Amino acid sequence: WPGRAPGWIGTLAIAASFAASIAALISLQGRGEEERQVVTVAWDYASTAGVDAQISLLLDPLSIFMALVVSGVSTLIHLYSVSYMGSDRGYTRFFSYLNFFVFSMLLLVLASNFLLLIVGWAFVGAASYLLISFWYRRATATSAGIKAFVINVLGDVGLVLGTYFIFKGSGTLDFLATFEQASELKGADLTAGCLLLLVGAFAKSAQIPLHTWLPDAMEGPTPVSALIHAATMVTAGVYLIARMHPLFEQAPAAETVGAIIGCVTLVVAGTIGLVVTDLKRVIAYSTMSQIGYMIMGVSAGAYVAGLFHLMTHAFFKALLFMAAGSVIAAMAGEQSLDRMRGFRKAMPFTFAAFIIGGLALSGIPPFAGFFSKDEILADIGAEGGWHWALYVAGYLSALLTAIYTWRMIFRAFFGEPSPEAKELEDGHLHHAEVHRNPVTGEEEDTDVGFPGADHHIAERELPMRIAMGVLALLAIVGGWIQIPKVTHGLESFLEPTFADSVHHAAPSDGLLYFGMILGAVVGIAGIAIAYKLWVISPEIPGRLQVRFAAVHRLFVNKWYFDELIEIVVVRPFAWFGRWSRHTFERLIVDGAFVGGTTSAVRAGSAAVRAFQSGFLRSYAAILFLGAIAVVFYFLLNS
Amino acid sequence: MTIHLSILIALPLAGALFGRYSAITGSVLALAYAIAAVADFDSGASGLQYVTDETWIAQLGIHYKVGLDGLNLILVLLTTVLFTASVFWIIREKVERERLYLGLMGAAHSGVLLALTAQDLALFVIAFDLMLVPFLFITGIWGPVATRAAAITKLFIYTLVGSLLMLAAAIGLAVLVKNQSGAEHLSFAFSDLAKVRLPSSTQNWIFLGFAAAFLVKMPAFPFHGWMPDGYRNMPLPALAVFSAILSKVAAYGFLRVVAPLLPDAMAHFQLLLLLIALASVLYGSAMAFSTTEARLVLGYSSVAQLGFIVLGVFAIQDAGAQGAILQAVNHGLVVAPAFFIVSLLAKRAGGSEDIRDMGGLALRAPILAGLFLIVAFANLAMPGSSNFVGEFMILLGLFQAEPAIAIIASIGVVMAAVYSLRLFIRAMHNRVGPDAESREIGLTNALILVPLVGIILVLAFYPQLPLKKGEKAVTGSIAAAKESAR
Repeated sequence: WPGRAPGWIGTLAIAASFAASIAALISLQGRGEEERQVVTVAWDYASTAGVDAQISLLLDPLSIFMALVVSGVSTLIHLYSVSYMGSDRGYTRFFSYLNFFVFSMLLLVLASNFLLLIVGWAFVGAASYLLISFWYRRATATSAGIKAFVINVLGDVGLVLGTYFIFKGSGTLDFLATFEQASELKGADLTAGCLLLLVGAFAKSAQIPLHTWLPDAMEGPTPVSALIHAATMVTAGVYLIARMHPLFEQAPAAETVGAIIGCVTLVVAGTIGLVVTDLKRVIAYSTMSQIGYMIMGVSAGAYVAGLFHLMTHAFFKALLFMAAGSVIAAMAGEQSLDRMRGFRKAMPFTFAAFIIGGLALSGIPPFAGFFSKDEILADIGAEGGWHWALYVAGYLSALLTAIYTWRMIFRAFFGEPSPEAKELEDGHLHHAEVHRNPVTGEEEDTDVGFPGADHHIAERELPMRIAMGVLALLAIVGGWIQIPKVTHGLESFLEPTFADSVHHAAPSDGLLYFGMILGAVVGIAGIAIAYKLWVISPEIPGRLQVRFAAVHRLFVNKWYFDELIEIVVVRPFAWFGRWSRHTFERLIVDGAFVGGTTSAVRAGSAAVRAFQSGFLRSYAAILFLGAIAVVFYFLLNS
Repeated sequence: MTIHLSILIALPLAGALFGRYSAITGSVLALAYAIAAVADFDSGASGLQYVTDETWIAQLGIHYKVGLDGLNLILVLLTTVLFTASVFWIIREKVERERLYLGLMGAAHSGVLLALTAQDLALFVIAFDLMLVPFLFITGIWGPVATRAAAITKLFIYTLVGSLLMLAAAIGLAVLVKNQSGAEHLSFAFSDLAKVRLPSSTQNWIFLGFAAAFLVKMPAFPFHGWMPDGYRNMPLPALAVFSAILSKVAAYGFLRVVAPLLPDAMAHFQLLLLLIALASVLYGSAMAFSTTEARLVLGYSSVAQLGFIVLGVFAIQDAGAQGAILQAVNHGLVVAPAFFIVSLLAKRAGGSEDIRDMGGLALRAPILAGLFLIVAFANLAMPGSSNFVGEFMILLGLFQAEPAIAIIASIGVVMAAVYSLRLFIRAMHNRVGPDAESREIGLTNALILVPLVGIILVLAFYPQLPLKKGEKAVTGSIAAAKESAR
């Protein structure tokens, strides 16, 4: 495959990163628990005027955990992309962006000071922008890209301002030096700082109300959705809160805000997931919802549980996206669930992947998502008080999760096969006669690239099978690292990072067992409901839509967040721009604001006409050169 | 090593007098000389280095005194870099009457270097005005016939008013200092003027004169009335250096002249100037994302960026001032290649510089698109670029002084993302416009653009270099004002 060399080079590079992460892990584990904190300084970046930013990396259990998840999942997604993107004309560009993303993400998780964190944070946003707009000939892709980018920049600004508030008290940008004085930083400034950090976290992790970019980000190629918009980048907010936990614990108000927003997001996203008909967008809303669990968890002090869910979610969500990519390829780019039916026989491998991913996402034991989600909710329950509301909402959403996940699976894989599925069963891959934009239906420029002349489907290509197979395995066993009362792999590994935490309320045994049973029951009930609604009696959903038309409209319109932001933010700025341009600028440029420049110009232009006639121009030139000559004359004679 | 600044200042003009090749030689030698100066510069020492001090007009106490310190060192380097690029660009454009064009550019180059290195207020004021003159000629001769006359008249009137006020302020300052100190002779040397601190009410009046000249030249809102027409009519190779450098000389003037000589006035007018700068940031950004002329997007973006620089200066904090000087360099390094890219885009869009006539230009021009993307990201101060470090320092200084203004100003950061990316997307992405043609950048153009982008990248990795070189002089320049603001 010489044409695929860029893909292999990119994949090997990330695999090398993963290997290096493992080496770092081994050497870190060889140290005593107190010494598992290594800072490497490369060079001074901006150290002046009280600022002390260096290019420096921090290796501790938390950062190496993130590095392992990021580079590990990335390696598999790179492998998948080697085949999946094989016939795209932007193949090389794709991998250069994708590797830039992984670099940025690793920089983000390894940064040891605020400034470098912000650099990684923004680079990740830039890579995300580039990949969302990857098919840049599509107007929908470019507008989704700029939307994602601007919201991310808003998050960057939140991070910068939050840093200022913290820096004001600490006088240093270095993480470890800041955390050392965390207990002295209390007060309004720290709370403001943490709240502003949350703005950054919400923007990156697609939490309400900064979430609207994520569903649109599905304009990017599917491996991108798997890697960036499910497994890694969108979890950066979770990492941020976990990393900053010494500060957040001194600012309980910020913790509360984080927990509530996470909870609201997970419910709202779940309801939207029920009605979306675009395959990738269903998974996108599910991602929002799952990150809501994580944000809620780490904001309520359940750091290990939140990070645990981050890891298992990376496995099964990447798997689901890969499987979705496989179906979309078989549909020749079509993403609407309304058009997909009965792919079960045509794509058994993909079907199996979807089932495993779906079971893990729905929290069915013993799949990965079961342990991690229940641990978050058990820890939250253990906090007591108003946290019980979060607990209830968490399980309610678990029901929604199971329903929308299996709605998607039943609709795409069950029932009478669609023409595309039949074609595939007959051993032929469907090719659309005219490629159309999956969102607008607009006829595609053939130059767009995907799916290209000979696109591939997951079923037939080995690299994709390997990637999906490994992730499917991880989606099954990934949760076993941390089974309540049995294993504590992750908890004891992350112990050094969170040893100083003030949150130590461990859930009682009763709560643990109750939660696990409840989780399993809710998950199975959800699947059963979905089976009833979309397999046994598929006419019910239509009736429900009519019966609850108002609610349905609310969900279909995504709770009107896009419209709200349009009215509150976009329009005022657009209006300000128009008003400046059409009204105010005239006053300054032509009007009387500065003493009537136009009339002055009119008077002056007579002089200029003479100036242009030649004589005056030569005269002025001589005058100017003369002046310079005089300067030198004085110079030489002084 | 002894660096003779007079040689540096004279080289571009001397070279430009004798046609194409000597113009190149003059600029390149000046660039090499500036690099040597930066390499040799002792950033540990305080005070001026490589000083030449000769009496010029003894009766008026005007000296020909030039010198380098951390304030102007990197700006001098920036000047030689960008003017050199511009010389190559002009030759590449194959303009009519190239020799005259190059001659004028050489004069402007020398004029800017003189203004930047001047250590005598009178010399500074003269150079500050002289450096504008070649640009008036260039616009008058090579600008679009129909509108150039109005444009240069407007530019001339604006700067004339500003300059006259500055001239009056400079003379007033020198005379009042002489009277107060009881010195025998009038002197304009900064070092002499700094010895005396005028009463703060007097400082205030003098301050206004300087501020007017600087704010017009930048330009800052609402003194930018000349800018749209001026930018529309100035040929791009000249406009690139005009926008990149001349505006910075004005920002530099605040730190060189106003901060050390009028510290109490600077503290007194701090809030007013911060508000003007804030308005420049917001208004400039709003205009930049609503206009469709590519060069005006850059023009209004400059208004906003210069607003940030003034915010940094008038935060009157070490971090802010350091950020301001760094940002002055960064913005120059970004806006010059941006104008170059606009010229390349226009060639591909049937001669139009309107972004509505562009689109899809990335299709067969991945290298051009990549270079443009780097410039666009740097322009919006993407973290990781040196521009971000500058902005971070500016806003940090401002946050220490006036947190509310810093928070409002940060809206400008988001707006910058909108207008920079909008420019990039409208030109490079979506489908190819009806009269547009996607074509890769040619080799000679790449030889001009790639080094400029390369400098942006190098600085992104090591912004510490300019920060460190400038530290002593920059913090020293605002020390008195900081004391007064407290």
